[in-house]
Amino acid sequence: MSGHSIDLLVIGAGWSGLMAAYTAANAGLKVQVIAKGLGSMHWAAGSIDLFGYAPDAPDTPIHRPLEYVTGKLAKEQPQHPYALLGKDRLVAALDSFVALTHELGLSYGGAAQPGENLMLPTAVGAARPTYLAPQAQLGGDLGRSEPMVIVGFEGLRDFYPQLIAENLAKQGIQARAVLLPFDVLTDRRDSNTVQQAHGMDDPARRSRLISELKKLAKTGERIGLPPILGLDDHAAVLFDMQSQTGATVFEIATLPPSVPGMRLFKAWRNRLNKMGVRVDSNMEVVSAQSEPSSNGAGPSVHLVESATSARPMKHRAGGYVLATGGIMGGGFNSDHEGHVWETIFDLPLTTPQARSEWFNPVFINPAGHPVFSGGVAVNEAMQPLDGDGEVVYSNLWVAGDLLAHDNPILQRSLEGTAIATGFAAAKAAAAAS
Amino acid sequence: MKRIDTEILVIGGGATGTGVAWDAALRGYRVVLVERRDLTHGTTGRYHGLLHSGGRYVVKDPVSATECIHENRILRKTHTHCIEDTGGFFVVTPEDEGDYPDKFVAGCAATGVPCNEISLKEAMRREPLLNPRISRVFEVPDGSADSFLATHATAQAARMAGAQLLNYHQVTGLIIEGGDGEKRVVGAHVRDVARGEDLEIRAQMTISATGAWANVVAHMAGISISVIPGKGTMVAMNHRVLNTVVNRCKMPADGDIIVPVHTVAVIGTTDERVADPENLRIEPWEVQLMLEEGEKLVPGISRARVVRAWAGVRPLYQEDYAGSSRDATRKFALLDHKERHNIDGFITITGGKWTTFRLMAEKTVDMATSYLGERKPCITATSSVPGVDQGPYWLGHRLHEIEEKKLQGQLVCECELVTRSMLENAVRQNPTITLDDLRRDVRLGMGPCQGGWCTYRAVGIVHEMTVSETGHPAESGTAEWDVAYMQSPARNVSSSASAGAPAIPDDERALFNPNLLLRDFLQERWKGVTPILWGQQLKQERLDELIYLSVMNVDHLPDRDLSSPVTEFYRYDTTPNGNLEAPE
Repeated sequence: MSGHSIDLLVIGAGWSGLMAAYTAANAGLKVQVIAKGLGSMHWAAGSIDLFGYAPDAPDTPIHRPLEYVTGKLAKEQPQHPYALLGKDRLVAALDSFVALTHELGLSYGGAAQPGENLMLPTAVGAARPTYLAPQAQLGGDLGRSEPMVIVGFEGLRDFYPQLIAENLAKQGIQARAVLLPFDVLTDRRDSNTVQQAHGMDDPARRSRLISELKKLAKTGERIGLPPILGLDDHAAVLFDMQSQTGATVFEIATLPPSVPGMRLFKAWRNRLNKMGVRVDSNMEVVSAQSEPSSNGAGPSVHLVESATSARPMKHRAGGYVLATGGIMGGGFNSDHEGHVWETIFDLPLTTPQARSEWFNPVFINPAGHPVFSGGVAVNEAMQPLDGDGEVVYSNLWVAGDLLAHDNPILQRSLEGTAIATGFAAAKAAAAAS
Repeated sequence: MKRIDTEILVIGGGATGTGVAWDAALRGYRVVLVERRDLTHGTTGRYHGLLHSGGRYVVKDPVSATECIHENRILRKTHTHCIEDTGGFFVVTPEDEGDYPDKFVAGCAATGVPCNEISLKEAMRREPLLNPRISRVFEVPDGSADSFLATHATAQAARMAGAQLLNYHQVTGLIIEGGDGEKRVVGAHVRDVARGEDLEIRAQMTISATGAWANVVAHMAGISISVIPGKGTMVAMNHRVLNTVVNRCKMPADGDIIVPVHTVAVIGTTDERVADPENLRIEPWEVQLMLEEGEKLVPGISRARVVRAWAGVRPLYQEDYAGSSRDATRKFALLDHKERHNIDGFITITGGKWTTFRLMAEKTVDMATSYLGERKPCITATSSVPGVDQGPYWLGHRLHEIEEKKLQGQLVCECELVTRSMLENAVRQNPTITLDDLRRDVRLGMGPCQGGWCTYRAVGIVHEMTVSETGHPAESGTAEWDVAYMQSPARNVSSSASAGAPAIPDDERALFNPNLLLRDFLQERWKGVTPILWGQQLKQERLDELIYLSVMNVDHLPDRDLSSPVTEFYRYDTTPNGNLEAPE
């Protein structure tokens, strides 16, 4: 459609990049994804945080996040990505994502009351607000009343059930802890949750754990485990666990690497491949060339160049979605003189350009650290804007953690903004092509 | 109120104070040492880790140079496993002109510091990243030292000789008897800050070994002494770019040394006179200057990743002081307050440097002896602290032991190769109030991720220990002090190996609130990274935020109003507020 073999080149393979690629491919565009590495899907809990804590009430979780971000937040912070998106596109993006997860066999769901935040236990036993979660995490919903037994394994370094149970109990949640010997899971000592999840794909290992769980769970108790319920065969593992123990079995996300994130990424990438979308990593885009304005359309991106282990490669496409992540993803770099810059197009940023303005002295700070709130300012079509409010490149759209005017980790909105802006960027690109 | 009677009360748990306790206990005195935080929490744990050959002082301060080389040789025997024999270079860069190199050679000869000029080719063979434009290289017996381990080992030796060491015990006032002209210090009021209890320690001799804080204690006796707090800022690079200590061959100045210590290379230091030895700001220009000066020794070093910056405060003593703090003498000051101020029972030891701590302790106890009466002679120079049988420190020892014993699955901190058993035994065998104490014990959280992974694990493990272990509370209220093999993965293979060690005493369990441990340590790590967060390390920090906020939600845990004795200390502002350019 664009006269290129690729209509849309998506740069970045995290939440926003995959969502943009999926949405654009669904809209009939020929899409390719190239990325340096992997996004925060591999690091975080695997759930979709929509909005957790409001800046003016940082101690109280937002009860109805969709209502909040399209109402109060949009009114008070009209530049926030959610405000730019508006309710329709946000809802459409979330619906599209949930439909995708059903197709992938890794269904995501929400709170019992539609529109409300779930509260899920974390690996330290805090209650974490999130909007959509994988099926395996839903059983931990703290809005439900069944007591919990949190089961860990002696020597598994990334999960501490007694700590979780104690903190949950302090918050009035009925929870107890059990530590099982590690050899219930494995005979290897060197192990993280990914290795254990992989082990559970094996039905024999699975049944050994199931028989232990049957012994320890009391009637009516839910069983909370580290995220080890299979990697490639997760649905079957979860089904076996629940049906054979007769209990609700759920996972509590813990330190990276993220098992739930890896499951989703693998299935999602396979799905994109089947749609004809290539997803190539180890391909860092290092530079771009632009073309001057023609027929009044403003300057546009001509090509981008990536560095691979073999040689530099040029990539040309009709349009480009930039989804390289912010400071964490590597979309921004910074130096000791206080410069922060966008690494490919050197897009204008709202980030303070002085280290003296970057941080607060206290790490856990409801105000956050200003360096993490800056980014690329965009219009409603997710096109980057310069200081005068003019579109920088007519065929470039920006999504995810690069965006200005929010701090998605502090607000617990990382995946929500990523999915919704990835969706919106792709829709805008499709409309333009 | 609890009261302790002793002969010698030592105030200060740095290298000097523990050295005094060790020396005095070996001579047969009854000794109690109090330290308001963890041992080494003051200046000892905040220096660059150089074991001086004396080379730095051969021109400017020959007496110090001779003391250094003398003590350098002794410490290699008394504290063998705490010292890495890196050797040292004094190099002449294109910016170091004039006749200093010749004066340096003559100074080494005059002070007895062994010095050998080697060819540039040989120097580059040993240190390929050195600036190739260097013109001359002199080799001296510098080394690098683990001041945390060395001080803990000295403390253990002191305890074995009968001394009682109380950390997290703060002096709130001196007990003074007698009126004008007949004043006598007879001990101190002390607060156990961890448990919130007050006690009184009565002593015939009170020795203040509080370094840069010496004047704070002197004020409690109504006197003033001229100790200048001289702040030095250091930065630790992610890589050990050198295996040899490298000094600029010129008069000592800012940023003229790189010390390889454990897994990092430390560039040091600035020297700024400060009013308050406690809350030390790290100015952006200081970090900038360290990187610029480091560049002259190792081109490209400023583009490497910086993992942390910190500041220590030197105790520089000078009579009738006037001038910039770099010019104050490094020699130590032993002040007899009877002679100077007509206050009996009170001695101050300050100034000096880590390398000479043993000598300072010896001279201090000699002075105490003149009042308390002769006992046994000083034997610290020919004694050794527990653990020396492991031989000199070498960088690969942890990896080697972990591979040999297949302990990979036990790793709690992958950056610094800390195993679960090392952590557990450090908790059982040493007084521990915060995770930062464990950092000083086993290097928890000192690597590139700055606690990103190990903070959660350490909290989980300490919590498991508090709920699982049924303990026999230790009699003294503190755990046994055993640091001899604390840093050796192979010597801490499983918890059963330490089954005889006491569990966490019941009265200390209450201190281990996991949520407080977690918050304190995250803040402590933040304090040291904010001065150097940019590039890769800023990216790392954002990932750590993702883990602790998004995944763990630690900012919404219960027990939010709890605080530890160091919570406030960790919250002082180290964010970069100043300029990149040094003030004129």
